Amino acid sequence: MTSTAQETHEPTITRSDEEVVLDSGEREFMFDVRTQDMEVNFGPQHPATHGVMRILMRADGEVCTGAQPHLGYLHRCAEKIGENVEWLQYLPYTDRYDYLAAMNNNLGYSMAVEKLMGVEIPRRALMIRTICAELNRIGSHLIAFGTYGLDLGAFTPFLYMFREREWMMALFEKICGARLTYSYIRIGGVFNDAPPGWLSEVERFCDTFEEKWKEYCDLLMVNHIFVKRTADVGVIPVDMALDFGLTGPMLRGSGVDFDLRKDMPYELYDEIWKDKAFEIPVGTGEKGTLGDCWDRVYVRVMEMMESIKIVRWCLAAIEPGPVIADIPKTLRVPPGEAYVGIENPRGELGHYVVSDGGKVGVRVRVRGPSFVNLAVLEAILPGALIADAIAIIGSTDIVVGETDR
Amino acid sequence: MDFQGIHDRLQAIQAPGLQGADEPREPDPENKKDKGRFGDPFVLVDAKLLPAFLQVCRDDERLNMDLVADFTATDPAKDDENLWINVQLLSIGQKHRLAIKCMIPKANAVMPTSVPVHRSCQWHEREAAEMYGITFEGHPDPRHILLPDDWVGFPMRKDYEFPEEYHGISCK
Amino acid sequence: MGFLEKQFQENVLTTKVDWLLNWCRLSSIWPMTFGLACCAIEMMAVGCAHHDIDRFGAGAFRASPRQADLMIVAGTVNFKMAERIKRLYDQMPSPKYVIAMGACATGGGPYYKFGYTVVKGVDRVVPVDVYVAGCPPRPEALLEGLMKLQEKIQNSSVIRRPARTA
Ligand code: SF4
Repeated sequence: MTSTAQETHEPTITRSDEEVVLDSGEREFMFDVRTQDMEVNFGPQHPATHGVMRILMRADGEVCTGAQPHLGYLHRCAEKIGENVEWLQYLPYTDRYDYLAAMNNNLGYSMAVEKLMGVEIPRRALMIRTICAELNRIGSHLIAFGTYGLDLGAFTPFLYMFREREWMMALFEKICGARLTYSYIRIGGVFNDAPPGWLSEVERFCDTFEEKWKEYCDLLMVNHIFVKRTADVGVIPVDMALDFGLTGPMLRGSGVDFDLRKDMPYELYDEIWKDKAFEIPVGTGEKGTLGDCWDRVYVRVMEMMESIKIVRWCLAAIEPGPVIADIPKTLRVPPGEAYVGIENPRGELGHYVVSDGGKVGVRVRVRGPSFVNLAVLEAILPGALIADAIAIIGSTDIVVGETDR
Repeated sequence: MDFQGIHDRLQAIQAPGLQGADEPREPDPENKKDKGRFGDPFVLVDAKLLPAFLQVCRDDERLNMDLVADFTATDPAKDDENLWINVQLLSIGQKHRLAIKCMIPKANAVMPTSVPVHRSCQWHEREAAEMYGITFEGHPDPRHILLPDDWVGFPMRKDYEFPEEYHGISCK
Repeated sequence: MGFLEKQFQENVLTTKVDWLLNWCRLSSIWPMTFGLACCAIEMMAVGCAHHDIDRFGAGAFRASPRQADLMIVAGTVNFKMAERIKRLYDQMPSPKYVIAMGACATGGGPYYKFGYTVVKGVDRVVPVDVYVAGCPPRPEALLEGLMKLQEKIQNSSVIRRPARTA
C-alpha cells in the first residue's frame, strides 16, 4: 500500500483544558486529537484485491470516510470481440471473463444463443451441464472462501480448499481436457459425453467433499477470530442491496430469498426444485446483524452443500443418450435479440445477444455480477474501519476478469 | 406476469414514454427476404422519459420492478442512425422480467440519467458513456470507468478504428 | 606443507565464485504475487499443496516488489496496467527476472486481434527472461519455466564482461 498524505503538516495531539475525573479517583485526560484526511491507495497490485483493482480510500485516522473503486486494469474488450468473431468462436472468451466459474459462463452464453435459435437440448446434455455448472460453483466458492480466510489471516483453510479444488479440476480435465478454461458446454449441448467412470468418480468426490465440508465449517465459520472480524462488519440492508442491483450471495446474505434457479428456473432446475432436492440458504444474522460479511460467507458455504445435492440428483437421474443437438459448424443465428440471466456463483450472469441473421453477432453483452456487486463498496466502505476494509472487499467475492471484461 | 400482462399493465397506468411493444414473430412465408424476429419481446420507451418510466415500474405494486439487472447500449450497424439503450428489469417480488429499448440518435446522443431512480445504473451508465459516447445528463460521476482517462474514441461504436499506439506502446 | 596438509579434505569444497553465487540465487528465487487474470489462478495452484513450488525454493510469494527477485506476469496486460508493471519492475532490486506466463503475457493471446486495450506481450514494457506457453499453462509448465530460469541463472556470471565490439 502506498499512502500519500494530503497535507504536509503532522497530526497534532493537544491537551484540552478540561480534565475528567473518574469516580475511582483515577484521572484521565481528554485529548483533542486532531487528524487530517489521508488518501490511501489500495491496489492495483495488492494481494487482497483478488486481481487488479484499485480502491482509493480516504481515511480519517482509522475510519474510512470515502472509497472510490477504480476499475479497468483488466479490460480485455470481450464485448468488442463478440461483435467480430463468429458465434462459436466466441465461446472461449466466455471462459475468460469469470475464470473461476467458466462452466457457468459457457452455459449462460450457450443458453442465450440457443434461445434465439430455438434448439432442443438432449436430456443427457442438460444433466451433464447441470453437474458441471454445480461442480464449478463449488470450485468457485472454495476459492472465494479460501482466499477470504487468507485475507483475514487464516492461511491453512486456503491450502485445504485448494486440495479439494485440485480434485475437482482433475474431474474437469477428464471430461474436457482443460483445467480452467473449459469451453465444454457448447451451443446445443455439451462437447462430448462423459468418459467411462467419470460419473462414479463425481459420486466419490461428493462423498469426500461432504466430509471435508464439515472441516471447513469447524475451521473457519465458527472460528472465534473469524466471527469477530466478520460479524457486524459491512452490513448491507435490503433496500440498499436492491438499489444497487445486487444479486446472488450478496443479496441472499441480506436475507432476500431470491435465486434464479428457484424463482425463474431454467434448464432442469425446475424439476430439481419441484423434487425438493435443494434449498436456498439465506442470511439470518445469526452471529451479528443481518447482511453482514459473515452472512454472505455463510450463504456461500451452505450453497456448496446444496450444489452437492443437485449433483447427486442428476447422478441418480442421468440416462444414456445423445449429448449435443444437430448444430451446423458455421452457425447462422436467426435475427432477433435475447437476454438470458442465469445464477452464476456470484449472482445473475446475463448475456444479451443481438443477431441480424449472420455468422457474426451484432452485440454480445455480458452483465457481469461482479461488476454490479462491486459498486456497493462505494456505499458500505465509508464509516468502516480501515482494518475492516479487507474483510468487506473480500466478502463481495469479485472476479476482476468479470468486472472489467 | 408474462409480457402481455406487463404491457397491459403499463398501458393501464399510462407509463410515461411508452411507445409500443415489439414481439417475436415467425418469418413471413410470402416474403422471401423476411427472416422474422426471434428471442425476447421488449417495450419501446422514449429515451428522454426513461428515468420516469423506470420509476413508475419500480413503484407500481403490480409491476414492482425493483432491480435494474442490466443497462447497456448497442450500436446496431455502421450506417444506422440510432443507438439503442437496452435495459433489463427484474422483479424480485413478482419474479418477472421486462426488456426495454430506447432509441437515441448517434449524432446527438444525449439522455437523462437514471441514477436518481436506481443507483445500480451509475456504473452501467459510465460504461455506456465511455464505450458509445453517450452523454447522461446529470450523472453524478461522469468519469471513464474501464478505459484510461485519456482514451480517445468510443471503442464499441461500429466505426471505431483501433489505435496505432498508446503512450509509446505500439498496438500492432 | 606440514600442518595444513590433509586437514581440510573432508569438509572443504572448492568452487568458483560464480557457481556459488548463482547457486544461492537460483535456489531461493522469491516471486512477487502478481496475478492479473485467469493465469493467476494457476499460479496460485502452483503455490498450493498439490504442486508446491516451494520444492524449488521459489515459494515465498512476496506482496512487495522490494523483496522479490522474480515477477511472474500471470495474465493479460492492458495499457492501464502497463505503466504500473513498469513501475513495479523498476522497484525490484537487481538481479531481477521476469517470467511471462501464458499466451496473453507472451504476445496478447486470444486478445491479439480485437483487443484494443491489450498490450501485445509484456515484453513491450519490461524485459522478459522466460516465456511459458499455454492458455492457461498447466502448473507443471510454470514449474518448468522456473527451472529454465534457474538454468539461465546458473549460466550467468557476476563479472561483467566488456561488450565486444567488432
Ligand atoms: S493466457 Fe489465457 S488463461 Fe492466461 S490470462 Fe490470457 S486468456 Fe487468461
